[in-house]
Amino acid sequence: MKGSSFTYLLKEGGRNIWVNRMMSLASIGILVSCMLLIGSAILLSINLNGMVNYVENQNEMVAFLEDSADDTLVNAVKSALDQNDNVDSYAFVSREEALERYSEIVPDSLLENLEADKDEVFPLSFRITLKDLSQIEESIAKIESIPGIMQVNAPTNVAETVTGIKRAVYIGGSGIVVILLSVTLIIIANTIKVTVFNRRKEINIMKFVGATDLFIRMPFVVEGILLGVISACIAYLLLWGGYTYLIDYVQTQTATGFSAFLKNLVPFSQVAKQLFASFVTGGVAIGVFGSMIFVRKHLKV
Amino acid sequence: MIRFSNVSKTYDNGTKALRNVDLEIADGEFVFIVGSSGAGKSTLIKLLLREEVPSSGAIEVNGYSVNRLKRRQIPGFRRSLGVVFQDFRLIPTMNVYDNVAFALRVTNVSTRDIRRRVPYILSLVGLASKARCKMNELSGGEQQRVALARALVNNPKLIIADEPTGNIDPELSYEIVDLLNEINKVGTTVLMVTHEHDLVAQFNHRVITINGGSVVADDADWRRR
Repeated sequence: MKGSSFTYLLKEGGRNIWVNRMMSLASIGILVSCMLLIGSAILLSINLNGMVNYVENQNEMVAFLEDSADDTLVNAVKSALDQNDNVDSYAFVSREEALERYSEIVPDSLLENLEADKDEVFPLSFRITLKDLSQIEESIAKIESIPGIMQVNAPTNVAETVTGIKRAVYIGGSGIVVILLSVTLIIIANTIKVTVFNRRKEINIMKFVGATDLFIRMPFVVEGILLGVISACIAYLLLWGGYTYLIDYVQTQTATGFSAFLKNLVPFSQVAKQLFASFVTGGVAIGVFGSMIFVRKHLKV
Repeated sequence: MIRFSNVSKTYDNGTKALRNVDLEIADGEFVFIVGSSGAGKSTLIKLLLREEVPSSGAIEVNGYSVNRLKRRQIPGFRRSLGVVFQDFRLIPTMNVYDNVAFALRVTNVSTRDIRRRVPYILSLVGLASKARCKMNELSGGEQQRVALARALVNNPKLIIADEPTGNIDPELSYEIVDLLNEINKVGTTVLMVTHEHDLVAQFNHRVITINGGSVVADDADWRRR
């Protein structure tokens, strides 16, 4: 294909959008709506997941050391925890710190009885957070097997609940995105089908003056790419504006009692690049493949 | 040259459109194909354009064995023809110039050559002043002249005109056939399908009559019959 023909076909693609502007507008509208729906579902899923992760990170287990534990043993436990893949973080709690924490939550009268050797009452311990709460049972067993660990207290019930919610969010989120994606594909396929059908005479004429299939397809493909990119940009900007506004609004509503959750909402900038890339890739792929498939039917002349 | 050798065409629904047709049209001839509705004229055109393939027999056009063409060879074959349809088949969103230039663009002709060739062809069909007009701004006769310009622009050896006067006024019909006549005088073979006997009678050309899917008459000078 000559350079002049290539330029002509590119121009034709752009011209077709303008000439068939009502259909182009309808296509853009449908593409943008679908992208907004899918984008919103993805953002919702990411945020729900973030909230569950936040709850997950709040759940600590406490590993108590034997009374006889000395610095050597504490260091040995630390290195054993370092080697555990599921340990996200840990903090060593000395007897004094344990007492201090205890004194914050119990009345002074109770502490008076401990006056004699209160520094010796509380055992040394580690407060440990896990990366994956679904593996809590295995992690407890591993930590309990570390020499010097006397007992591990862990919120296994909470862990089970959080793991369940996390799985539900993952399955639900993926399911919604898959359903929306399928609906989107059907709607867009029909839109392209109608667009191509409206121009079947044009395709027929091209065939009779000796145009090759590639020559006929190219303007449709260019059109598909342009509509995909335009729709992706519009959907991205709308989602960006809408989501940022919503986050700002929600985060000012401190009275809701969920302030800790709300502080953990995912900022748009964190997912912006991936979302934009998916929108453009999705839009272009749908435009190109849709045009290729549906023009094909009318090429058999 | 066009050669039909024992060509038959039966459609999937059982309709026998052509039966054992044998005909030969030499380079430079002007031939009218006449016949009533349902005689098989349209099928003949479809076979010539490789829109359909014959059920049996062989077709040769411009050195191409049409019934044996592979899919990728069809565009090349069609570029060797110029086709004019009854319904003009112009692209309504393009102006006169672009409709004609379009036939050159599909053959990878450079923009410079297009700019030289299209105005020349438009002046030949008397539409030089309407180059920027849209199709809905033209009369039926003018639209058919655009279609003729598009058919001519590639300098084809053969022009196939399928009822080119079917959608235009009788007085303009003569103009169109006369234009085809002029084109034929410079050596281009012209095959025109029509059912307008009066129009055919005004020109001294070979007339092939089709009826019931068969060639029933082939007269070198139909007017004198």
